[in-house]
Amino acid sequence: MKIFKSIKWRLQIWYGLILIIVLAGFGITAYQLDRNRQFRQVDQELHRRIGVLANALHRPPQRGLNGNRPPPGQFQRGQNFDGPPPESLPPEQNFPGENFPDRNGRRFPEFTLPTQDIHFFEAIDPHHYYYRIVNRDGDQIAATTNQPDNRLHNSDNFFQPVNQVDDTVGKGGLPVKLVSYETYREAASQLPSEEIVTVGCSVAPELKDLRRTALSLLLVGGTVLIVGLAGGWWFVGRALRPVSEISATAVKISAGDLSQRINVAEAESELGQLAAVLNSTFARLETAFAQQKQFASDAAHELRTPVSVILTQTQAALNRERDAASYKQTVEACQRAAQRMRKLIESLLALARFDAGQEILKRQQFDFSKTVSDCAGLVSPLADERAVKISVEAEPIEIIGDSERLAQVVTNLLTNAIQYNKPEGEVRVKLESQNGLAVLTVADTGQGITAENLPQVFGRFFRADTSRTGAGNSGLGLAIAKAIVEAHGGTIEVTSEENAGTTFTVRLPQG
Amino acid sequence: MRILIVEDEPDLLASLAQALREEGYAVDTADNGDDGLFNAEGTDYDAIVLDVMLPGMDGWEILKRLRKTKKTPVLMLTARDQTRDRVKGLDTGADDYVVKPFDLEEVFARLRAIIRRSANKTTNVIEIGDVKIDTAARNVFFKDKAVEITAREYALVEFLALHRGEVVSRTQLYEHLFDENESSLSNLLDVHVSNVRKKLGAEFIATRRGHGYCIE
Repeated sequence: MKIFKSIKWRLQIWYGLILIIVLAGFGITAYQLDRNRQFRQVDQELHRRIGVLANALHRPPQRGLNGNRPPPGQFQRGQNFDGPPPESLPPEQNFPGENFPDRNGRRFPEFTLPTQDIHFFEAIDPHHYYYRIVNRDGDQIAATTNQPDNRLHNSDNFFQPVNQVDDTVGKGGLPVKLVSYETYREAASQLPSEEIVTVGCSVAPELKDLRRTALSLLLVGGTVLIVGLAGGWWFVGRALRPVSEISATAVKISAGDLSQRINVAEAESELGQLAAVLNSTFARLETAFAQQKQFASDAAHELRTPVSVILTQTQAALNRERDAASYKQTVEACQRAAQRMRKLIESLLALARFDAGQEILKRQQFDFSKTVSDCAGLVSPLADERAVKISVEAEPIEIIGDSERLAQVVTNLLTNAIQYNKPEGEVRVKLESQNGLAVLTVADTGQGITAENLPQVFGRFFRADTSRTGAGNSGLGLAIAKAIVEAHGGTIEVTSEENAGTTFTVRLPQG
Repeated sequence: MRILIVEDEPDLLASLAQALREEGYAVDTADNGDDGLFNAEGTDYDAIVLDVMLPGMDGWEILKRLRKTKKTPVLMLTARDQTRDRVKGLDTGADDYVVKPFDLEEVFARLRAIIRRSANKTTNVIEIGDVKIDTAARNVFFKDKAVEITAREYALVEFLALHRGEVVSRTQLYEHLFDENESSLSNLLDVHVSNVRKKLGAEFIATRRGHGYCIE
């Protein structure tokens, strides 16, 4: 069943089970406590009465129970088995009834009970309590008339020696056994003369009371269970609603709409934190996707122009017969376009390798100042063409790195400094050691970069001018320079002042 | 038909201009935005081929400024084929666009289409009496027979046919049939007119003395 695998259902089932167990435990305990309390009262009363009766029968009667006299010395008036000797006590204190007022505070009269006079007890409490005395043969010697009939009919089984002691009773510490029989509860005690006295009463009112209690408990318990389950269902649903929202959003995102965000209503809760974490992941994904898309689109865009050149050149050339010079022009134009594409592809591949961390640097120790001077020499024809003056001030600094790649960085910075310079401008190149870093600065006196454009300078396909300024400028140079410098554990920064010039600063760890 | 091409990639500009000249158009060129706008505003071109990415003023800006004074049909060359770029171009006032890399044939066809639309024509074929002009194939038929006609003569016929019923001045004809680099001697136009009359009948082009020419 799929439905029962959902967290909501599982929580509900567990919660329901626990609720049932708790309610059942509570109900059973309450019922037991009530039952014990009620039965204890009954038992106490039975106990008291059997004590009175036993003590009464205990005394040496004028006529023994069942006419048998007890053995001499055993059933003396005031005899107390575990008490002090009779001589030391005033005889009056040994009357049991004196010490055992009943529930209503009445005291039993003192008497020595002839067997037939057991009916006397009946007169005291005619409705509730019945009394019975059986001899050791199980024959009923005496009983009150209110003894229930079925007890009489089962009289054969009456005599069961009281060997299971629940309590003791009376002055003699006689054993007492408490038994339940149908709706009756009885206390039986065996006298030393082996007769068994029994006091019983009906517990029907108590049982009725208990049934009512049980019914109330069931009703209350059931109501609590239903309300609890419904509340739990609502509560679990409420608690899990953010999860549904999260998964709904995740579905939308996997469907391709990366702009979706989870609504974080409770940022402090665990789910709120999860949602916030997911949202930031989604945001990063979206940015990465957008960058990737932009990169692909830019790369395609860069390839479109040279492809257009080739297409139009060849199509125009093939439109009609032409002379050799014309074909040559076409072929040369195609070659230029192809070279431009090659350069672009190389740049793209280099960037892709740096992105993937696959670019392997040929690390070796070398004098960076020499690289800088070489590069300055390399770009001097371009500088002359633009009438830009290059000044180099480089102290010898040994660094460990890929000299070819770093030369590429320096050349790129120098070329930019010349190309974006004003005519008769100046490029100042300085290499010095600062705090264990080789610091290269390339400053030009060009028109500068606007503050708005400055953060994008190292971006891919960024050009300060909105158009290409020649086939050599793909807009990837600074992006590649940044990748190379960072692969060396260095940094590259730019500062610019409009109409005054731009300064690039490269910091590389010294070898 | 006189066309202005504004494109900064020299190889592309050269081949486009050459191909369009061979199609019989008079072609002017500009390799940056500022020159492009200057030319576009100063001359009544029949169409302008405008690249979006240009040094100086970009294509959008040229188009925006040009639309304040002129309704010249503009065909944009764009390197981006995203919808938003195309929408932007058309909304700014471009009549059509082609996405780089393009086929020359497509550029020709789209140019013909925007020129035709600007002359309120819906088909490629213009029929005037016994003369039928196929502007797509650049052929002229007289009494259902193909007529041998030079590119310049064709351009003259087509221009007058597209402005049928209007009197077209010699100056207009010079502007539309010759580009800025051609030394246009005044009698050259007369030579073309007389050649066309020989091929399509003397009454095909009427002369309005002191005003110019007209096809009724």
